[in-house]
Amino acid sequence: MNKPRLGFFKYSCCAGCEFQTFYFQKHLAETLAAFDIVYAKMVLRGGAPEGPFDLALVEGTITEAWQVDELKKVRKNSTLLFAIGACAVNGGIPAIKALAPELEVEEKVYKDLSTIHSIRPQPINVYVPVDGYIRGCPPGARDLYEALTSVLAQKKPGFLTYSVCVECKLERNICILVAYGMPCMGPVTNAGCGALCPTYKRPCYSCFGAMKQANAPALAHKFRKLGLSEDDIRRKFTMFDANSAESRKAADFSED
Amino acid sequence: MNPLRPVKAILKKIRRETADVKTYTVQVGEEFPGELSPGQFNMVGYPGVGEAPLSFSSLRDDGCIEHTVRVVGAVTASIDKMTEGDELLLRGPYGQGWPMDRAGAGDLLLVAGGLGLAPLRPVIREVLKNRDSFGDVFLLYGARNEKNLLFMDEYEAWRKAISFHLTVDELVTDERWSHSVGLITGLLDSVKFGGGKTQAFVVGPEMMMRFVCRGLMMRGVHPSKISVSLERRMKCGIAQCGHCQHVGFFVCKDGPVFTYKEVAGLMDGLL
Amino acid sequence: MFGNGMTGDPASRISDLLVPKASFFTWLDSLRERLSIIGPVAEEGRAVFREIASSGELYMEYESTMLSPGKVYLCSPREDLFRLSFGKGLSIEEPPRDSAQRIIVGIHACDTNAVLYLDRTFLGTFRDPLYEERRRNTILIALNCGTASKNCFCSSVGTGPFLKVESGYDMLLTDFGEDYLVEIKTAGARRLFDVDDIRGAGHEDFRLKDEKERSALRTFTKTINTEGLNKLLRENPEHPVWRHTAEERCLSCTNCVMVCPTCFCYDVVDEISMDMKTVRRYRQWDACQDTRFAEVHGGNFRARRSARLRQFVTHKLDQMHQYGVSGTVGCGRCITWCPTGIDLTEMAKQVQGK
Repeated sequence: MNKPRLGFFKYSCCAGCEFQTFYFQKHLAETLAAFDIVYAKMVLRGGAPEGPFDLALVEGTITEAWQVDELKKVRKNSTLLFAIGACAVNGGIPAIKALAPELEVEEKVYKDLSTIHSIRPQPINVYVPVDGYIRGCPPGARDLYEALTSVLAQKKPGFLTYSVCVECKLERNICILVAYGMPCMGPVTNAGCGALCPTYKRPCYSCFGAMKQANAPALAHKFRKLGLSEDDIRRKFTMFDANSAESRKAADFSED
Repeated sequence: MNPLRPVKAILKKIRRETADVKTYTVQVGEEFPGELSPGQFNMVGYPGVGEAPLSFSSLRDDGCIEHTVRVVGAVTASIDKMTEGDELLLRGPYGQGWPMDRAGAGDLLLVAGGLGLAPLRPVIREVLKNRDSFGDVFLLYGARNEKNLLFMDEYEAWRKAISFHLTVDELVTDERWSHSVGLITGLLDSVKFGGGKTQAFVVGPEMMMRFVCRGLMMRGVHPSKISVSLERRMKCGIAQCGHCQHVGFFVCKDGPVFTYKEVAGLMDGLL
Repeated sequence: MFGNGMTGDPASRISDLLVPKASFFTWLDSLRERLSIIGPVAEEGRAVFREIASSGELYMEYESTMLSPGKVYLCSPREDLFRLSFGKGLSIEEPPRDSAQRIIVGIHACDTNAVLYLDRTFLGTFRDPLYEERRRNTILIALNCGTASKNCFCSSVGTGPFLKVESGYDMLLTDFGEDYLVEIKTAGARRLFDVDDIRGAGHEDFRLKDEKERSALRTFTKTINTEGLNKLLRENPEHPVWRHTAEERCLSCTNCVMVCPTCFCYDVVDEISMDMKTVRRYRQWDACQDTRFAEVHGGNFRARRSARLRQFVTHKLDQMHQYGVSGTVGCGRCITWCPTGIDLTEMAKQVQGK
């Protein structure tokens, strides 16, 4: 069997997901051996951005019009297209700017707006169909591995859908939200990190985004009871996930 | 011996039934238990994709069993890609099948919707084999359309022994169709079965079973004499993993065949 | 193998002894060379069960732990089942079994009953050899509770605070101040318990035990009335309490299920190696609160959060039909560790119209 042709595309983000995939992750050597890397700026000079690709991994938030055009081309040239990382999956950190009017945000950052062509920040599935979501900032080891091996085995990947709390209990961590009153986002956050932060007694800040059917308003209510300010609560729910309906509901809830 | 340990089996024959359904004849070895009854199921799988519960469409015959499978998920998709001679993994048989000991008491009504014909096929074969042990037997079979009919080359033999009624929800080709068009519940009125002693075996999508069972009750069949076969998510098949649980029972162990009386109005079910 | 309660040794009253605590702990320490000793210890102000190096670490006065020792040490949170490999043909290998010899000391009445409940799942019609081996190699030394914590309701469901069942575990301790009343339940434990500094417990001692039980019973603040509850739950599947609690408080976070000592559900997962040569098939705890738990092709029997919440609560409260025993042991963990404090006893009361 020929090795699957892999393309890695980056839009507005820190490029950490590509870094993770090609430099940091545990199964790096096997990844490089198993795939034919056709286009990936961090490991390959030049490359063939036009593909075709068996698998395109796309990181970053879409915040400029040219990115939309290119993304659509990538989609057309790829059999499978996975969003990788919080930015591509749900808007990530760049989506924070969705909380204020575009012009207001631009004026805050840039002196001269004549060369700025920014659009509203969106995850990539707003513009193209996406076959899989490798969540996290950076992507979690388990889901990344599942995604890559599933492509190799030509099966549908089984991504995690439950909350971080499940992973925390599998690690047998004492619940820091209940035991120590830390404002942990774990109960509404999609698993995949292996409960990294809570294992070190740091509250989860939801870099994996809200899980399906997350009851964010109920957790926001709990945070209020813990004494968090409205602003703090809003920031917690919008840091990585400002665009999701769940987070917005939580943020709205804390306003009343 | 770990009951979760699968045994190897070999795909002897693959027969295409419809565009997305195939019947797989699987050769099982000595490790696979001998006794199996109509309505039971196997956990069938392949390394890397996991396992899924699949009911038998035929019992052991010359060292082989059959499963009739539609591609719906990871496991069935991987089976779909296999060719004759390939190996797969399975374990079973599991669960309680159709109450065959009661099937001959009076008339027997078999009602199948779609792929539901597969788990009834062993019952039909049993009837054909021991025709004298049964009363009047009716088979009502509803398919989405005429392109989705299963086991077509067996109909002629069935018709000789039992009363076979066929309907499709809609017709999609111009070919001549001499059977009914419409929902399967419509067929219930076209058969004349004998009241109180009738046993009914019903299998198909849960919503279809709901209406068939209610129709049967209106025709005087007692809910304890209607059997239905439930489909649930299962990971183990051996009453441990909990996925198929409804409060009070495991579908894998206590079912998949239940009397309608046991499961009508089930919380979170559609019956 | 110790021939503990699981294997069907004659159970009751093999010997009842009064043992100075110091002698008991010296004995426990003497076993450390042969056995791994699991007991309650205080870690950062919280009690947890873990392996100890010396009985000095034990914190026998603990109230409750987040995870029950039975579930953690008998149903491993995650464990490998098979190694499957592709080659000339498929092959199936089983990883080496966990054959560690363990003592779990200080397991409360509720959690001991929870182990007996897990036995029904894993040693029932189908026996799970991994569970069975660990169970057989584990000595359970139960401990009667002197005080209830605020979410305990074992006294309402017959599983505590004092252990009433006579078999299925090895020894039962009752705190008598300087001494333990040690009731030995299995022949294996009797052989193992080679302590000299003992005296036989008599009628008076058991009267004191009864007195202690009565005083423990007075410390309960949470109760549930299970009479007729099964029927009521069945007849009220659409009671507003499910929807209200699901909307306003339930996070679907699964904490209730994960900390429940009788929740036995697991998921089976295949992990393929990157070179496509081998597959690791493992299982891990699973939870009915996950959206995918009851999902099948073309539908999800519990797509709504309220349905999932109802599944958990009714499975705990209405269990007579599955195993003929209550699904809850009244440990109150699901209440304690619910981030929003959902209380199944309160929900039951609402269904009961109180």
